[in-house]
Parts: sequence; C-alpha cells; structure tokens
Amino acid sequence: MKEKVIIRVSILLGALVSIYSCIEPEPLEESDYNEWLSGGSQTVFDNGAGAFSSIFPNLAETREEVHEVGDLAFEQTFITAPSPINPGLGPIFNNVSCTSCHINDGRGKPPADGEQISSLLIRLSIPGTDLHGGPNPVPGFGGQLQQRGIFGSSPEALMKIEYVEQQHQFADGETYTLRYPTYTLESPYTTLPGDLMMSPRIAPPVFGLGLLEAIDEVDILALADVDDTNGDGISGKPNYAWNVAKGNKTLGRFGWKAANPSLLQQSAGAYNEDIGITSFIFPSESSHGQSQYDGLADEYEVSDSILHAVEFYIRTLAVPARRNADHEDVLAGKKIFVDAKCAVCHVPRLRTKTDVSFPEISNQVIFPYTDMLVHDMGPDLADNRPDFDANGQEWRTSPLWGIGLTRVVNGHQNFLHDGRARTLTEAIMWHGGEAAQSKEFVITLSKADRDALIKFLESL
Amino acid sequence: MKTKYIKFLFASAALLGFAGCDDDNEGGSLVDETLNTEVLDNFSATIAQSVYNDLASKTSTLYDQVLAMETDGATDVELNACRTTWKQARESWEQSEAFLFGPVSTDNIDPRIDTWPVNFTDLDAQLDGTAEFTEAYIDNLEDALKGFHPIEYLIFGQDGQKAAAELLPRDIEYLKGLSQNLKVLTSDLKVSWQPASSGSYHLAFTEAGNGSSVYPTQLSAFEELVNAMMGICDEVANGKIDEVFIAQDASLEESPFSQNSMIDFTNNIKGVQNVYLGKYTSDGKGLEDLVRQYNLQLDNEIKLKISNAIAALGNVTDPFGEAIFSQPIQVQNVVDAINELKDTLEEQLLPFVQQHSK
Repeated sequence: MKEKVIIRVSILLGALVSIYSCIEPEPLEESDYNEWLSGGSQTVFDNGAGAFSSIFPNLAETREEVHEVGDLAFEQTFITAPSPINPGLGPIFNNVSCTSCHINDGRGKPPADGEQISSLLIRLSIPGTDLHGGPNPVPGFGGQLQQRGIFGSSPEALMKIEYVEQQHQFADGETYTLRYPTYTLESPYTTLPGDLMMSPRIAPPVFGLGLLEAIDEVDILALADVDDTNGDGISGKPNYAWNVAKGNKTLGRFGWKAANPSLLQQSAGAYNEDIGITSFIFPSESSHGQSQYDGLADEYEVSDSILHAVEFYIRTLAVPARRNADHEDVLAGKKIFVDAKCAVCHVPRLRTKTDVSFPEISNQVIFPYTDMLVHDMGPDLADNRPDFDANGQEWRTSPLWGIGLTRVVNGHQNFLHDGRARTLTEAIMWHGGEAAQSKEFVITLSKADRDALIKFLESL
Repeated sequence: MKTKYIKFLFASAALLGFAGCDDDNEGGSLVDETLNTEVLDNFSATIAQSVYNDLASKTSTLYDQVLAMETDGATDVELNACRTTWKQARESWEQSEAFLFGPVSTDNIDPRIDTWPVNFTDLDAQLDGTAEFTEAYIDNLEDALKGFHPIEYLIFGQDGQKAAAELLPRDIEYLKGLSQNLKVLTSDLKVSWQPASSGSYHLAFTEAGNGSSVYPTQLSAFEELVNAMMGICDEVANGKIDEVFIAQDASLEESPFSQNSMIDFTNNIKGVQNVYLGKYTSDGKGLEDLVRQYNLQLDNEIKLKISNAIAALGNVTDPFGEAIFSQPIQVQNVVDAINELKDTLEEQLLPFVQQHSK
C-alpha cells in the first residue's frame, strides 16, 4: 500500500519536473506506451557501438550480477582440452566464443572475398525428417557444417561462396544491384551425399530476445493466417519445433526459421553445434559418431549454472530507443511502410504477457516489428531446406528494432538470412513470395518516398 | 529494487516531458559547435591516429627483431630487445582500449590480436607439427593461437625468464609468423583511421552530424567516446582484475608471462586520461576543454578520479598474480577507485556531453 503511494507521488513529481523542463509544456498523453521506447521499460538510450549490449535498466542488483556472469561467459574464448581454463573447444567447431559471431551482441556478415566463413554458419540435412519431425541429419556431418577443427581434427568441409550480380530497376529508372550467392562445400573430410540440402544462416543480433520470448503465444497465433482466409496474400504460419527440455513440440520463436522454442535451447544449441561445448540440454558432442570424435565421455563442458546465466544475459539485453521518430521524413516513411503492407508481417506493436515471476519483462508494450511467424519469401530467397513446419521457402519475419544501428555497432549493412543484402534497400528488394506485393509497391515509389522509407527504417 | 523502480518511473516521466520539448528550448549558448568539432577532430588526429601509428610502428619493429633472430640465431640481447618492444607495443594497445569502437571492433581486430587465454594444447601441437608458419597460415588459425599472448609466451617463457638458447628454430619460425600477422593487423587498424583511406573512420567520426554515415549527430559521437571510456573502466575493474581477484585464481590472469598485467591496467586508465585531456604526444582540444567551459567542478572531479585510479594502481607493487594474495587491500582499492571513475563518467560526464552537444 505504502509503495503505491510512493510510486504515485514519484510519477507526479516526474510529471511536474517534466512540465517545468519545457517552456511551453504539452500535456502528457493518455497512452500507456511510447513509440520511442522500442523495448517498453527495457529501452536504453545508447546509439553507439554498445547499443545492443546494455543491460535492462531496472534489474535488481542481484540479478545484475547474474547478467554479468553471463556476459563474461558470452565473451569467454574456449580452447582445446586439457586446460585449466575454458577447455572443451571442438573438436570441430564454427567459432571459439559466443561473441566472435555475435560481435557487440550484434549481427554477423558473410566473409569477404578469399576469407572462410566466420559469423555465418551452414545447416545441413538430407530429405526426410529426424525422430522429432526436424531436419534429417547428414551421415558423417550431422545437422550443421563445422568448418574448423582443433589441431589434428579435420574440419568437415570448407565453404565457398560465389556471387553473381544482377541489375534491376525501379519504375523511375534508377537501378539497383542484387548479388545472388551460390554455396559450394569444398574439401569434405568424407563423402557428401548427392541429395545434400544447405541453409546458410548469419549470426543475428541477440538483444531484446527476452521480450520476444515473453510475448503471449495466443497473441502470436492470433496473427497467423495459414490458409490466408482474409485473402490478403499473406499467410503467417507458426512453426512448431522440438523442445528438448519439455520433450514435445512447442511454438518456435528463434532462429531464421523460428525452429527454436526457447532461449535456453538456442544458447545450448549454439554452444553445442557452434563451439563444440556440451551441456545438460545437449550432452552429446556435435562430432559424435564421426571420426573427429574423441570418444571421451566428458562431464558437461558448460555447467548448468553458466548456461542459465548466459540464457539470462541474452534475456536481459535491452532494446535501443528509436532516433528521430518524429522527423517528418520518418513519419512519411512510416506511412509508406504501412501502405506497402510491410507492417502486416513486420508487426510494429506487441505486448508481453503478464509474468509475475519476471516482472522486468512482464506486460510491456514493445515495438519489435515482427509477427514471430514464418512466411513464404519466394524462390530467390529460398534455402529449399525444410526445418520442422517451415518449408524451404519460408522464413521467420525478422524483428526490425535496432536495425538502423547496425552500421555503428557492426560496421556493415548486410541483411537477410545469409547477409546477401548490402543495404536496407537491397534487403527490401529481395522480398518475394508473400512479400512480392510489398516489393512491387516499393518499385513504383518516387525517389523521395524510397528515401523516406529508408529513413524510417534507419530510425528503428 | 523498489528504489530503482521508483527512480525509473521518475526518469521516464521526466523523459516523456523532455521528448515533448522543442529543440529551440535548448539554449544555443549551451552547445559550442566549433569547440565540439575541434574536440572530435583532435580525438581522431591526436589520439586515435597517433596511438594506432605507434602500435603499428612497434609491432613492425618487433617483426624486424624476430627476423634478426631467425637470420643468425637468437641471443639473449636480441630476445630482451623483443621483450622491450613487446611491452612498448602493449602500452600503445592498452591505451587504445579506451576507444574500442570503429574498425578495431567491427573488423574483428581486437580478438585476433588480444585473445586470452592461449590455446596451449594446440600451440604445442603446432610447434611439434610440420606446418609452414606463413603469415597466411597464422592468419587462418583461431584467435587463441595468435596475437600478443602467444608471442608473449614464446619470448618470455612460462616464468618470464626464458633464455635465448631455449628458443628452438621452430619457436622462432612460429614467432615470425605471429609477429608478421600482428604487424599486418595493426597496420590495417592504423590505415583504417587515416583521413586519406577509403572508408576512413576518421571521416565517419569527425563528420558526425555533418554527413557521417555512422554518426547522425555530434552528440552520438560524444556518447560513443564517453561510453568507450566507461567501458574500459568496467572491463579493467570488474573483468580483468575482479574476476581473477574474486576467484583467487592467478591462472585467469592476462599477460602473466611478462608480468605486465599491472602495467596493462594502468595503460588502460592512461588511455582514458588521454581521451579526456585530448592529449597524447601533443596536446589539443579534449573533453577537458569542453567540461572546463561549463563546469570546472566536474573537470576537477574527473581529473581527481583519474589520478586516484592511477595512484591506486601504483600502490600494487607485487606482480598481479601474486598481489591478489599478498596485497588484497591494495587490489580492492584499485577496483573501487576505477569503479568510482566509471561512475563519475557515467553519472556526470555522459549527461554533460548530452547537454552540451547535439
């Protein structure tokens, strides 16, 4: 009771201060949300290199400690066992730490010419499904390519990416170029099957994920329209994926095809497949059954508590606030975003569920610009590799919050699942399938309107 | 918890009010654009470019010194010269950690030159193997097998006392590849900030708010500077020092072979001082000049906190790996002093630059 009074008084005080901070005070709006605050009360105001790396602003100190333990673990470089510190790397792996793909908690990019992949990984499978309805692993390779090995362990294969550039045109005659990638595995350590399927995936930013995990399943399913009953050409579909901890299929939320149901499983999966680190979720080495496997029945290479701390770290990374949200070009761009039906899938506003056990993420109005569903994106973007209920042309709507800060955080503007787009414009123009109508809309826009649309995206 | 929540509500209510203000309410006299531009220019020219120049020059010298050992066999004098140069390069690098943004981060240079721990198991296997240690071969190795720390291990030895006679030809070959790779990466870093380079970060930074593709406002560039200063304070106090100190585990120490950790930490804080003063080998306009124009007391406080931190570091007289046991009070004082500096930067300097730039 007393608390309530204190809080009310402090709101009043705050409002009072705010009134006096303006010469011409405007009345506070009667709204329970603010579009500038992309992450609700978990929004931060850092728009520099650390924009994706801020802790929730209102965590209790004891919980801050857990976040920090997770932060250190996220940065920890694993090395070859035996070692007194950080042992367990590999024997085959993609990278040596979480942060070496998610640099600054941000977005990876495809390798430059002549470089091997680093923050891009390749999922592998053959036709059919595994026991749980997921991708069918490739004998001798498993479900993911590991392109590196510790000393004496052969990498599974190396990845060669070639691009062919093709020029296209907007209605006003201005041209743009898209680069079409082809992926080839080179020097495999053993024979690859002829019917191999590959899905390249860039390391995505890891902030705000706790809020996405906290969106009520009912609210996500309400956005779904699998059979397109409303006839708008857009049919969002939930992807149900195997939940290891629960032992059944649950709604997938994370990963490029929403084939991962929880941050815990996402983190444990990345430790296991990307770094070669076992845990209670995935106790078996990624190399199990292959010639690289060391045959040692080790204890878990990441402890339960560290795994939970890393999960907590990711869960409590805050969302950067918008910039220039009231600029007239940005507002014009926002209208175009809606008119082009971008907002049908990139749903601006969602609410997290009420969760008394985790008040920091409970009942927040957030602006992630995703519906958490998978959509047919057309043949040009297709990986032609099904992943649970998502078929070879379907991808999850990527959240757009923070996208305008990619350049300052990660120094590039490579977007989409494999980083093929080199600008926001290219990313838009790659959209096909259900999003083809939006792309066609953008093609007909004037230069000024296209610029406004980009300016809006940059403000997110 | 409650207090925090209440503070937050207060802040958000104030924020809503602030967002409702018109820009022209922020009196022009609070923002000295000319000085702000000078501070940003000088940061790039006097600090970033000069520190990276020194780093590249020292690593280049180190490579030459390793080459000399390869040509006619290593002498103790030559090995000592390598150690001295390694420490000099380290000084520049640690000072540059006060501004870990831009290409050092986005081009992934930091982990490639400064990953800890070293992967000793694979390092030994590499030395026992037959691979030719070309620069390209080294470049392709994982981060824990290259950069400063494997070099440190090879030239100082486990106990810091390695004699030249203990360096096998294969060690020197590996050293050559390592030091060449370090030279190449630090040279890339140097070039990335030079004004004439394509995609120069100098331009991205100094043209903030004036056409920069990275920084839409000068304010965002100032926030970047202060956040980076805070970031290294946090990293030194609560990562590099406290993690080892709390665990009471010297094996977690970075730079153990050279016993250079305390010097590393001190150079991190000196790096913060450089940025604040706008001063390295020459003195130009820095944050100091901006702060002094409006708030002398804050200027005094920041300088006091910096000198307190450096003094506390100086009071730890044993090597860090020993001091966590032998001088716990002094080590705790370092953690506290650096955290105090961090708090001042966060709670006072950050709001200050937010008020005095746009």
